[in-house]
Amino acid sequence: MPGNILDGRKLSTEIREELKGRVAKLKEKGITPGLAGILVGEDPGSASYIGLKEKASGELGINSQMVRLPQDIKEDDLLKEIERLNKDAGVHGIFIQLPMPAHLDENKALTTVLSEKDVDGFHPVNVGKAWMGQEAFLPATPIGIWEMLVRYGYSKLKGKEVVIVNVDNLVGKPLASILAQEKVGANVTLCQPSTPNLATYTRRADVVVVAVDKPKFLTADMVKEGVIAVDFGSNWIDDPTTKTGKRTVGDIDFEPVKEKAEAITPVPGGLGPMTVTMLLFNTVTAAERQAGG
Amino acid sequence: MPAEIIDGRKVAEEIRGELRQRVEKLKGKGVTPGLIAILIGEDPASLSYLRGIAKGCEAVGIFTDTVKLPENVTQEELERKIEELNKDPKCHGIILQLPLPKHLDTLRAESAVSPDKDVDGTNPVNTGKLLLGEETFFPSTPYGVQELLIRSGHSPDGKHVVICGRSNIVGKPLMGILVQKQKTANATVTVCHTGTKDMPSITKQADILVAAMGKAKAITADMVKEGAIVMDVGVNQIEDPENPGKFKLVGDVDFEAVKEKAGAITPVPGGTGPVTSALLVANTVKAAEKLLGS
Repeated sequence: MPGNILDGRKLSTEIREELKGRVAKLKEKGITPGLAGILVGEDPGSASYIGLKEKASGELGINSQMVRLPQDIKEDDLLKEIERLNKDAGVHGIFIQLPMPAHLDENKALTTVLSEKDVDGFHPVNVGKAWMGQEAFLPATPIGIWEMLVRYGYSKLKGKEVVIVNVDNLVGKPLASILAQEKVGANVTLCQPSTPNLATYTRRADVVVVAVDKPKFLTADMVKEGVIAVDFGSNWIDDPTTKTGKRTVGDIDFEPVKEKAEAITPVPGGLGPMTVTMLLFNTVTAAERQAGG
Repeated sequence: MPAEIIDGRKVAEEIRGELRQRVEKLKGKGVTPGLIAILIGEDPASLSYLRGIAKGCEAVGIFTDTVKLPENVTQEELERKIEELNKDPKCHGIILQLPLPKHLDTLRAESAVSPDKDVDGTNPVNTGKLLLGEETFFPSTPYGVQELLIRSGHSPDGKHVVICGRSNIVGKPLMGILVQKQKTANATVTVCHTGTKDMPSITKQADILVAAMGKAKAITADMVKEGAIVMDVGVNQIEDPENPGKFKLVGDVDFEAVKEKAGAITPVPGGTGPVTSALLVANTVKAAEKLLGS
């Protein structure tokens, strides 16, 4: 029997509805959650992404303040801008749209953001606290994956094997940070994309997460019957049957793996729609925390 | 064939030899590195641990001291003392001896230690940097496992490392250290829940098996793959079967049985322990060098 589809669009709509309720409650207390973003330069991809975040904020009743800075801005001026947002009581969450131009020190900018407002979860204080199981902000992708597992009823992972093929700061490490905590209790394996005999790991997995950006990377012979398969890959491949001649696929060989899986995320329509939603989720949480619960 | 015994004392001596030279250089520039511990109360185990650390400091010629605070010290008083040490030019490394009494907030106290003097690597900023792969201080126990692997010729690069135990001082930071895309790491790492029923099926996959569960003889021979490298971080006091009424130290690994199957193994005592203490001193020397360089 083919697996359940983990529908990120549906879930995202559901979470946004809940967020509207939380925003309304904050407004009763006189607080309107505020999200600020910084975009340096005019990269069209980044500009359109920041636009999505702005639009989604507006739909939920979150104030947004998108600061667009020139490509050749001096580092000091960028840091001053971040400081200004740190001090602005109407701003509860701050993100910096990456990548930034090469003359700027990304690390310095990210660590200048106040950790209480770091809704991207990139500040070392948040990374460290999350790793130690303390209250912290985590990046959107791993919390999106976790919410998906929770809401589809797949979060009882004590003693289960989770294999993550990705060791990056945005996905693999923070996801391990959630799943390896005592209260979740999974046996977590972080695999490098170069891990020898990768299939011996993925075949053992009760939950497998891939984010390597290689189409059909995870094939049906690499998973066990009943696996929960999570795909954060995004690949733009040729497809003559579509109007543009191209389409987006993930890292999982979707149709055959679906036949073996208990549940699977599609691409598109899986984790993608969750990321902006989870950024807003963190922003509302930040506003609640700054308001004192 | 019995396993190669990885001699932690020898590696620790090698590290101290290197440190003596670095300390000489610092002294030539008028700087004596200093490691200062804060101890609350009079716990005998903590006192004995700190005596060991002090001996290690003296062996390489660095300054060391212990600040003793009463059991009923308040959070504010503790943080004031930490703040004093943060500013004290004689102090390059601060150890906050754990556990703290229950009325104190450990995370707040750890966060109060300046990240530049946090040689135990417990300030969340340093934990975060460790995970992100940035320059920081590694907590000395997981750091010791990595150093011992490399210096004994068993690089984790490309290997499957299974860590049993997920504590904040060993299991989790070790996972963070060994997954980095660096020559000295680059491993595939599994961290295991100690309550897992079929733990042997996981531990038997390990090229390198790290025991850090704090349970005597928890890793038995049937849990180990032939030829695996076994690193024992456990320290448990058990009754000595040969001397009734007396106690002895053992690790988390059933040493005698596992050594017949493993490719290499660390003993307890004399394995990871001595390297851990040497590296706490190494972190202090590094802190002094960084301060001088900045």
